[in-house]
Amino acid sequence: MSLQYQAVQWNRQKRLYDAVLIGGVALYLLGFGVVTESLFPNITEEILLMRAFGTAAFILLHMILCIGPLCRLNAGFLPMLYNRRHAGVTLFLLALIHAVMVVTTYHAGGDVNPLASIWASSPLTHSVAGVPFQVFGFLALVILFLMAATSHDFWLANLSAPVWKALHMLVYAAYALLVLHVTFGVLQAETSLVYPLALAAGLVTVLGLHFMAALKEVRADRNINAWDTDGWVEAGAVADIPDNRARIVCVSGERVAIFKYAGKISAVSNVCQHQNGPLGEGKIVAGCITCPWHGYQYLPETGASPPPFVERVPTFNVRVNSGRVWVHPQPNPAGTRAEPAVIEL
Amino acid sequence: MSEDFYIGWEARAGTGPARRMRGVVALLLLAGLGLAVALAAQQHTIGTSIFEWGTLKPFSGRLELEPYPHLLVPRPGATNTQPGFSTYYLVAPFKHGLDREKFAALAGQMVTLQGTLIYRGEQTMVEAVPESIHTVVSPASLPTGAATVSLGRQTLVGEIVDSKCYFGVMNPGQLLPHRACAINCISGGIPPVLLVRQKDGPAIYLLLVSATGKPVNQQVLDLVAEPVEITGEVECQDGLLILRADPQSYQRVGR
Repeated sequence: MSLQYQAVQWNRQKRLYDAVLIGGVALYLLGFGVVTESLFPNITEEILLMRAFGTAAFILLHMILCIGPLCRLNAGFLPMLYNRRHAGVTLFLLALIHAVMVVTTYHAGGDVNPLASIWASSPLTHSVAGVPFQVFGFLALVILFLMAATSHDFWLANLSAPVWKALHMLVYAAYALLVLHVTFGVLQAETSLVYPLALAAGLVTVLGLHFMAALKEVRADRNINAWDTDGWVEAGAVADIPDNRARIVCVSGERVAIFKYAGKISAVSNVCQHQNGPLGEGKIVAGCITCPWHGYQYLPETGASPPPFVERVPTFNVRVNSGRVWVHPQPNPAGTRAEPAVIEL
Repeated sequence: MSEDFYIGWEARAGTGPARRMRGVVALLLLAGLGLAVALAAQQHTIGTSIFEWGTLKPFSGRLELEPYPHLLVPRPGATNTQPGFSTYYLVAPFKHGLDREKFAALAGQMVTLQGTLIYRGEQTMVEAVPESIHTVVSPASLPTGAATVSLGRQTLVGEIVDSKCYFGVMNPGQLLPHRACAINCISGGIPPVLLVRQKDGPAIYLLLVSATGKPVNQQVLDLVAEPVEITGEVECQDGLLILRADPQSYQRVGR
């Protein structure tokens, strides 16, 4: 975090991330190109580029979609998440090159406007051929563009977090459109089983990881303890919470992150104000709750980011009795100080 | 810096996250390379066809416009068993057929032209530069086309392709991914051809014309790039196989 506004806060990790990302994409494109040219020297160059960039984009989309659930299942994948938006912009550029090659190769040079041709040259018929697979690809590209264009935190702040989040959840619509694009496009032409098997493996991986991550959260949410007569909820033993870490409990339908630090217990909403990251999977660093996704920080007693930052999350009142943590389910307004409970020795 | 907790805005990652990520990156790069090889190697739709893009060559021969523009080029060393000419389909640049009205006055005459050669197997085509087409004032010889031979009424199953792309301008230039291009090309006047794939032999190419021998470009667009069954009269004209049938009678097969 910085006191001075910078459009992109470049550091060594960000440069490494981009170098690996671009190097990996280049390695894929080179490998695809060399193998294709070696085995099929008569392929038209435009179609080689179209296929190399199209497959690269689709594979990268799978990786991007898997990063979220992988991080929920194993924190070891978190370094892939911090700059995920760079992968998203790279994905859009790969898809754009694919689309430009398609439009200039298949749709330009005729009597119809190339963009209009995407619709006009896909007449609906009562057969598989009538499924407008190119239209699916075009619509997915529009979504990827909107996401890439608004990927900077400038848009997150200006669109508001709910709008921005909803917009970026459209990535799943783009994925569905692209599965249709591939299924009713290239899979209707290429006869090798490798392609449908690869598509199915990708789909199963994406859906399976999301299902496993959701299952993990549902199980954690069921971990409700006893309520006392005052309406407080028992949230487990103090000893079960590692130092500078948290335990997440679900009370009244809301996840609460209960942190143990410096001999005290504090509780805040589990939802980071930045991108809804799970604060309870974060850590106390330099006295601040630090979000595992993008490192946003909050003071545990107030739920407010240290000045000059302005993010705030709701806090919860806590108390400790006989080595057990109790939390009140009524959240305090975001940024409100809640007295930490001192851990009895 | 937190050794076991990753924070992206810190200058360096802790040793734990960094070590784990090196392994993940290595695996991802290997997987990506493996996918590149597998996906590239399994392409089955790329044939052997050539478009000599960027190379203009001179051609001279007798210009014929029916049923689609083609050029009969005298063949040296003709024998009794071979016709005295080679047949080249003629098309214009991009997704356009040769303008038949513009060159109607030259039909049946010896012409010279500049063009780019396109070929696949024994099928040959020239993308002509329209401005380069001129009559030869005193031709040394004028090839005469062979008499049209009827091969009888036949039912054939194949795919309607645009001849220009399939013969070499695009490779692969067939099936659904290429459908929009084929529709644009055929709509623009490129001769539509029924590609009949044979299990035990080379593919057969039949120019599609109506029952009265007229071009059918606009009538076949909805059936391009998918299996169709056509029953009609097959004949051989100037070395080209032609299938005469009413486009209304074309049948989509399966799917």
